[in-house]
Amino acid sequence: MDIDSLQAQVKNDLEKVSSPEALEEVRVKYLGRKGVVAELTGSIPGIPVQERGEFGRKVNAFKSGLHELFAKKEESLKDGEALRGENIIDIGMPGIAQQVGTLHPLTRITDEICSVFSRMGFSVAEGPEVETEYNNFTGLNIPLEHPSREAFDTFYLKDYDKKLLRSHTSPAQVRIMQEKKPPLAVVVPGRVYRPDAVDASHSFMFHQIEGLMVGEGIKFSDLKGVLETFAKAIFGEGIKMRFRPHFFPFTEPSAEVDISCIICGGKGCSVCGRKGWLEILGSGMVHPNVFKHVAIDADKYSGFAFGMGVERIAMLKYGINDIRLFFENDLRFLRQF
Amino acid sequence: MKTTYQWLKDFVEIKIPPEELADKLTMAGLEVVFLEKKGDDFVFEIEITSNRPDWLSVSGIAREVAAITGGKLKNAPVFSAPRKIPGRKIAGLSIEVGIEDKKDCPIYLARILRNVKVGPSPEWIKKRLELVGCRSINNVVDITNYVLFESGEPLHAFDLDKLASGKITVRRAKDKEKLLTIDGAENSLLPENLVIADSNRAVAVAGVMGGKESEVDFGTKHILLEAALFNPVIIRRSRQLLGKTTEASYRFERGVDPEAPERASRRAAQLLKDLCGAEDAGMAARGSAGRKTVTVDLDTGYLSRILGVCLGCAQAKKILLGLGFKVKLKAKNVLRVEVPSFRQDVKQPVDLIEEIARIYGYEKIPNSLPLITPDPDTGSRREIISEIKNLLVGLGLSEAITYSLVDRKGLKDAGLESETAPLSVMNPLSREQEVLRPGLALGLGRAVSFNLKQKQEYVPLFEIANVFKSGKEPEEKLALGIALSGTKSFFSGEGRVHDPASFLHLKGILEAVFSKLKLTGYEFVNLPAGRVEIFLHKNKIGSMLELGRQALDALEIKNHKVFICELFLEKVFSCALPDKKFISLPKYPGITRDISFVLKEEVSVESVIASIKENGGSLLREVKVADYYRGKQIPAGFRGLTLSCFYASAERTLTEKEIQPSHDLACEFLSRRFEVKLR
Repeated sequence: MDIDSLQAQVKNDLEKVSSPEALEEVRVKYLGRKGVVAELTGSIPGIPVQERGEFGRKVNAFKSGLHELFAKKEESLKDGEALRGENIIDIGMPGIAQQVGTLHPLTRITDEICSVFSRMGFSVAEGPEVETEYNNFTGLNIPLEHPSREAFDTFYLKDYDKKLLRSHTSPAQVRIMQEKKPPLAVVVPGRVYRPDAVDASHSFMFHQIEGLMVGEGIKFSDLKGVLETFAKAIFGEGIKMRFRPHFFPFTEPSAEVDISCIICGGKGCSVCGRKGWLEILGSGMVHPNVFKHVAIDADKYSGFAFGMGVERIAMLKYGINDIRLFFENDLRFLRQF
Repeated sequence: MKTTYQWLKDFVEIKIPPEELADKLTMAGLEVVFLEKKGDDFVFEIEITSNRPDWLSVSGIAREVAAITGGKLKNAPVFSAPRKIPGRKIAGLSIEVGIEDKKDCPIYLARILRNVKVGPSPEWIKKRLELVGCRSINNVVDITNYVLFESGEPLHAFDLDKLASGKITVRRAKDKEKLLTIDGAENSLLPENLVIADSNRAVAVAGVMGGKESEVDFGTKHILLEAALFNPVIIRRSRQLLGKTTEASYRFERGVDPEAPERASRRAAQLLKDLCGAEDAGMAARGSAGRKTVTVDLDTGYLSRILGVCLGCAQAKKILLGLGFKVKLKAKNVLRVEVPSFRQDVKQPVDLIEEIARIYGYEKIPNSLPLITPDPDTGSRREIISEIKNLLVGLGLSEAITYSLVDRKGLKDAGLESETAPLSVMNPLSREQEVLRPGLALGLGRAVSFNLKQKQEYVPLFEIANVFKSGKEPEEKLALGIALSGTKSFFSGEGRVHDPASFLHLKGILEAVFSKLKLTGYEFVNLPAGRVEIFLHKNKIGSMLELGRQALDALEIKNHKVFICELFLEKVFSCALPDKKFISLPKYPGITRDISFVLKEEVSVESVIASIKENGGSLLREVKVADYYRGKQIPAGFRGLTLSCFYASAERTLTEKEIQPSHDLACEFLSRRFEVKLR
């Protein structure tokens, strides 16, 4: 047998070895007194003189190669032994850590939306939940005795004159414009209240995010651009948007904004009422009467405002079908976010 | 508002299918929420915004269809100018009209129609009314309704013979004046209700509903047809008081076209003649449309600046003409626009800009991004809140959001009432929305109860939200609430560890919050009755409590302890994240020595540590609890405690020998002062 095929045979033998005892057996087979190497060495005298030198070198190289192989195998057997010993790791066991809590899904969505606007340069502000009738209505060009109030049924406070729980986050517009002068770019998240009977899609307490931008030369096309940036950031690059004329007393022109249904992609399904579109916010150019109330010069400045319901966006984004889940605080629900 | 495809076609040429029309209407601001094929017609259900009473009529929507699609308007009389209203009394007419206050009722037209043959309506009227959701009564009533839907002007027909002869008066109701309305309800009216009265009594609630006793029925011979204009605010108040919204009140409170009454009265008279054989005996009238023409100047430069798209005079003019405005060029780039009577919502240039943008198409306006000047000085409060929330989440708590409105009884039953009366709501829909919560404990307690009922073994929740208090002005303050209940279990190197919630867990969480915010100078102070108060720079900022039996019973929590803390955040914000200066690290290592001893339960660890610090000499830098235990080796009423004392010097490395005297002193003081047994 030639030395090359012997090499292959050794490797083959070693692969089958899984204990020091077996390794010793293999070692004896090759390096023992009557082993293969001894046999090869013994065969040298029978080799023609001119080939003898070459053959001897090959046998020597084979022999030292064997020593190396056996040493390696021995090491690896020791490692294996260590694994089987007391330091064994079962990585399938649970990791040692305490449970991490979760942010409420409404907080997550609010933060996500606010941070989109922050990245565009808007600052984030807040306003009180107990408001004046003036800030909630009159200052926003909503006359007290007008059907447009119908959309804003409101909780009034007992024992205080004209104090109420804000029925939208828009009074923050009045506050911000009273306190600061343009240029302004602000979003205001917050809780709002309306006397609604509670069911799967209504709640007497919910959350909105208001946006306001006022400056020189702010225009309707800016409103469209900013809201498109927002919608793509929240709902994905592929989302389509449309602006529909609508009426809000505090903006003119006003628009309701729809996105293509994120469930069916616009084909029409039960979520979008077969329309292919989902209404997600109201918006428009700040009404000059609102500017007048806060003494901002409507000839010099213009602006846009928008408002959206956080629950609605969270429900769409997470596929939640009952608004009451947000306020039940079931840990099995909360821990999903 | 419902209308039908065929009915619209009475007034405007339509060359596009209903689906396409619905889409165009939606994109012009008349949102079609429902489109349904009914027989050979299509019903459009359109959501009409409250600023557009002119769209509460088939003819008004037809005008819009013409503007959007370019289709021609038909049936001109419906859109024509009204005729001059005749004087107040007509010779030979048996009736006279009186208006108590012109502000309540600017126009009242009473037309007399004789020899009306009351019977069922022709099929085409019945069918159309049915399609828009109106029940057929008889031909006379149906005609008044038909004209209402067609023109937007509510009409009412009285049985003339059931009215006391002579005079119709529009006046305020007397206090507690009685009127039986056609819905069969006996109403007790107030002076805030406007009524139509004959010489004896009220016969209709103006603009809301007619009276039963003067109703047209199959025996009626002669009728008085009312077409009027009422003050929107009064009609709104009146129907709110009565709790009745009708097709009539809905339109009057939004504002009816002052030119509509005359036209509608004429149109109805024609139909009554044609379909019921009535003879028009003339009309008594009071008031007039009497409206000043409104003109608005529109600068097309302003138009383009607001919209962000360049629109010229010609384009703007064309759109406005299509919508029924009269337009002249006043100066270069300035249009003088005369507003028609049915568009009382248009008062200033922006109103015209919306009209132009609407018809031009919002979708054709490009998107642009404005240059924003960032405001650097906001948001720090929000960032702190966010830090707190993220830390609490990292500590294993989940964020809850509970209702700010709660029931008075819930607070009382749980013993969680505040010292001052809570802020209460004037018009709650239910008891659950009666008052604004004075604290977060009730909401969190309820959330804990809910979760324990779901068999959660450990409930760690927090909420950051406003709580409310009555005062000279209503107060709202931002608070952090944390609730812990049940037993936390988790793996350690030795296997599962069970760790029941306790006051010290709450304390540890708060300490982590304070440490994260770099707050110093806070104190936890024990009070009797399972309560701990929290102070920051000597100001009380919150408390911790274990819910007592009363609260647990009220919340239906059994076999579980509940620990709740509430912290007012305003003070925390003002002290949080102070500007820090780096303190150089110690150059020389220090030495730690432990003292183990047994201490009476009633002696507070805090006082022991404070005393040791005071008496341990200048090298003693810090004293901490290293361990504590209660168990077999410790006698009852005592606990084992190990304190670790850290000695260090800024000048040199200390030796054991050097600190021994200080340490001995501390130990000796400890055993003397607190009678502890050193171990």
